[in-house]
Amino acid sequence: MTTSTSAPVTAPSTTAVAARTRGLRKEYGSTVAVDRVDLELPQGAVLGMLGPNGSGKTTTIRMLLGLVRPTEGEIELLGRRLPDGAEQVLPHVGALVEGPGFHPFLSGRENLVRCAAFEPLLPRKQIKQAVEEALDRVGLAQAAHRRYRGYSLGMKQRLGLAGALLVPRKLVVLDEPTNGLDPAGTREIRKIIAELHAAGSTVLVSSHLLSEVEATCTHVAVLHRGTVVAQGELTELLQAGGSALQVITPDVEKALSALRQAKISARPLGDGLRVELAGTSAPQVIETLVQGGARVFEATRWKTGLEELFARLTEAEEAERGMSAVDTLDGGSR
Amino acid sequence: MNNRKVTLAAAAAGVVAGAAGLGLLAMPAGAGQPPTLPDVSAESLVEQVLTSEPGAFGGTVQVDNKLGLPSIAEIPQLADGKHSARIWTDGNGRFRAALPNGQSEQTVVHDGKTTWSWNSADNEVTKAERKPDGSKPDERKPDAKAEAANPAEAAKQVVGLTKEFSDISVDGTARVANRAAYELVLTPKASEKTLIREVRIAVDSELKMPLRVAVLTNGTSEPAGMVGFSEINVGPQDPKLFEFTPPAQAKVTTPEAKEERDRDRSPELGLEQALQGENPQVFGTGWDTVVGARIPAEAMSQVPAEAQGLVDRFTKKVSGSWGSGKVFTTKVATVLIADDGRVVAGAVPEQVLFDTIGQVK
Amino acid sequence: MITRQFGSEVRWMLRRPRTLIGLFGLVLVPIVISFGIWTAGEDEGGGPPGLGAILQGNGMVVPIFTLFLSLNLLLPLVASIWAADGLAGEAQHGTLRGLLVAPVSRVRLLFVKLFGLAAMSLFAVTLMAVVGIIAGTAFLGTDGMMTLSGTTLDTGEGLLRIALFVVLVTFQMVSIGAVALAVSAATEHPLVVQAATMTTIIVFQVLGQFSSLDWLHPFLITTGFPGLIDVMRDPVPLDQIWDSTLLAGCYLLIGTGLAAMRLITKDN
Repeated sequence: MTTSTSAPVTAPSTTAVAARTRGLRKEYGSTVAVDRVDLELPQGAVLGMLGPNGSGKTTTIRMLLGLVRPTEGEIELLGRRLPDGAEQVLPHVGALVEGPGFHPFLSGRENLVRCAAFEPLLPRKQIKQAVEEALDRVGLAQAAHRRYRGYSLGMKQRLGLAGALLVPRKLVVLDEPTNGLDPAGTREIRKIIAELHAAGSTVLVSSHLLSEVEATCTHVAVLHRGTVVAQGELTELLQAGGSALQVITPDVEKALSALRQAKISARPLGDGLRVELAGTSAPQVIETLVQGGARVFEATRWKTGLEELFARLTEAEEAERGMSAVDTLDGGSR
Repeated sequence: MNNRKVTLAAAAAGVVAGAAGLGLLAMPAGAGQPPTLPDVSAESLVEQVLTSEPGAFGGTVQVDNKLGLPSIAEIPQLADGKHSARIWTDGNGRFRAALPNGQSEQTVVHDGKTTWSWNSADNEVTKAERKPDGSKPDERKPDAKAEAANPAEAAKQVVGLTKEFSDISVDGTARVANRAAYELVLTPKASEKTLIREVRIAVDSELKMPLRVAVLTNGTSEPAGMVGFSEINVGPQDPKLFEFTPPAQAKVTTPEAKEERDRDRSPELGLEQALQGENPQVFGTGWDTVVGARIPAEAMSQVPAEAQGLVDRFTKKVSGSWGSGKVFTTKVATVLIADDGRVVAGAVPEQVLFDTIGQVK
Repeated sequence: MITRQFGSEVRWMLRRPRTLIGLFGLVLVPIVISFGIWTAGEDEGGGPPGLGAILQGNGMVVPIFTLFLSLNLLLPLVASIWAADGLAGEAQHGTLRGLLVAPVSRVRLLFVKLFGLAAMSLFAVTLMAVVGIIAGTAFLGTDGMMTLSGTTLDTGEGLLRIALFVVLVTFQMVSIGAVALAVSAATEHPLVVQAATMTTIIVFQVLGQFSSLDWLHPFLITTGFPGLIDVMRDPVPLDQIWDSTLLAGCYLLIGTGLAAMRLITKDN
């Protein structure tokens, strides 16, 4: 929110962004981990980064944090270009990347104190207090004196989160934060994300748990095979991707031919059919069906879940590559 | 980006500097530019060397030995390689010499009355006192050792002994121990049957004191042996250096007692003593002087088997009209030991020894 | 900020169980040596060669003898462990990422690690020296310090010699550690760092034994170790000590430079 006061003035067309990448590409030897990633993380947003394992989420996050140098492309973080500006902006960024990293022989508290010693924004005198607050916030105050070695997966994850929250951050990056957490722990993480959001911080959460993203995020970016296949506000994405009508009818054949004549795409599904609403509307569909002599028992607006969206986005490409036969069949049936 | 490149370049420069430093350290200390000095005639230089009184100085002497001697564990100083010693003298006969030997050290201090010889390896002090009658009983050994380590003395002796038999010239200048020096070259006259091609002596341009002696033999360009100061400071030395108090824990013995014991311990001393013994016989003069002696038969038979093995390992069997024996060859000297106990040695080819051995009584 | 990071680094190293075990082990060395020499007692000519020969009744030499012996293997091992934990170990635990995101610039991180290594090395070496003085004096008694040259220094001068030796040995140790840090920056496996460092040290020492390889000797850091014993001669000849230190300095430069290059270009 206060990253760069001049940014909105000079570039009024773009809404203030906490992070932005352009044409990001990372090669490891001959393998391309990330390619052509143009990511935009609006300020104050909670961006859920979705993608199957190996889709490049973590690599993208590591590039965003200056841990990995991109092969190509640009990164802007909190108004500064990386990696040059890393020292200026990274203090405002809290991160939990690739699982929590702590020393097993130190207690949770000692680990945090060590982290705090390296936080540029934290004055020496406030270290103690900041550590206690962070421990409290993630619910580890009771176990803070125990060695990290003996922590459960969930406690380790919380400690990692505490590390990211030692200082009030402008941007918090959480890579798979609910890994290993029980449902109660997951709820707490959600609560913390909501708090951060309410306080005006920008949050980037990567996850493969769709429900989690759906529940906490305002924005979504879907990565697949190293590229962003979709991104935007969650509600928009869901609407854009999700307009379909579920029609229950015994006269499937009649319905299909009627719709085909009206150039409306549909396919049989269960004891009825599924009609895409692209280029048409629900009343129009029902009218077509009735005129075509199909009895309509029930018509429901299909509200796409994130899960479906995700499946469609990541599998569409799969289909393009490997299942072109289905595609042509589909086209032929139109 | 730029910042990163600068840091990267700095780091790379550090690596390069370190590697270059290693290279520099590994390079033998450069002799440096030879200084420009006024011309001096060889004759006057020799005269000055022989009459020079070095006075007080302290310094480090480097011995670079490529004589081709076998390395014998008991006397590592003789083995090929570089050895150093530190010597101090007040110019009035008092001196100290420190001869490091691996992690041990032998120190010889002559305080004017007493010669102390300390060896850290056996924590022992040998004390040789000037007897009331003024004779110097057995100061020879430590003195000889200390003198051998002093290039100034060594060079004076060489010059004194050989100047009549040599062509003497001044061959440019050199920088030794950071001092300007003339290079005095003694070349054995053609009539001399010696292994030595020339002896180069660097003479300090101010003090006329020899700073370095290099012996070059026939057929090699590298000196076979070199003794020289690597560092010298001329002037009064700390008088404490010429005092010695035996450490509280050390054993103090007399040279006689020590010799008695050492004879049993190290057999090669027997040979050394035989050659230096009471009746060394000298044949010839100049460069091809041969020293001869006869080891008593019982001494020959007393040589323990291990020493015998050592001798056999580094000698070759020879025989001729003079009899048979073993010859031991280094770059600068040859030793012939006949089976009947006659020994001859000199800086000469073995043929000269074969010719001379018959004269040994 | 940097002092706080230095402090944190040293505290972190001191909290490591293995550091404490290592220090404990190091401290045992002078005690065992003093005890051993003491029990060898009056035996004629017993005792190890070199400096060992003058240990009897000369307790102040124990710290120097101990450090001199330890420099061949024990101290490089300890330095390599610290260097290994410093970067490779942190990478392995995932804590290196945390530091880099904090952020600590990579060059500064290296200096923090180097400082930690130096501080701990100095601490360890000093600790050994102090325990050596105490144990040596207790077991072997002391009357000042007898040098290899047969002179006896008074206690104050003896302590000065010990302090000089502590500094010299620490510098050698840090130089080895710097090279180990370069390895440490290139791997995530601390054991690799230790193995590589110790192998190098041992191989160097073996190579140093072959006179046919004498052209190589001036390049080996281990060649400089024996010369440090000159501290125990009187007066102290400085050239070998100086050469050893310069040699180690070159290693320090190379190690630090390589580590920095690797850290700067590394993806984490």
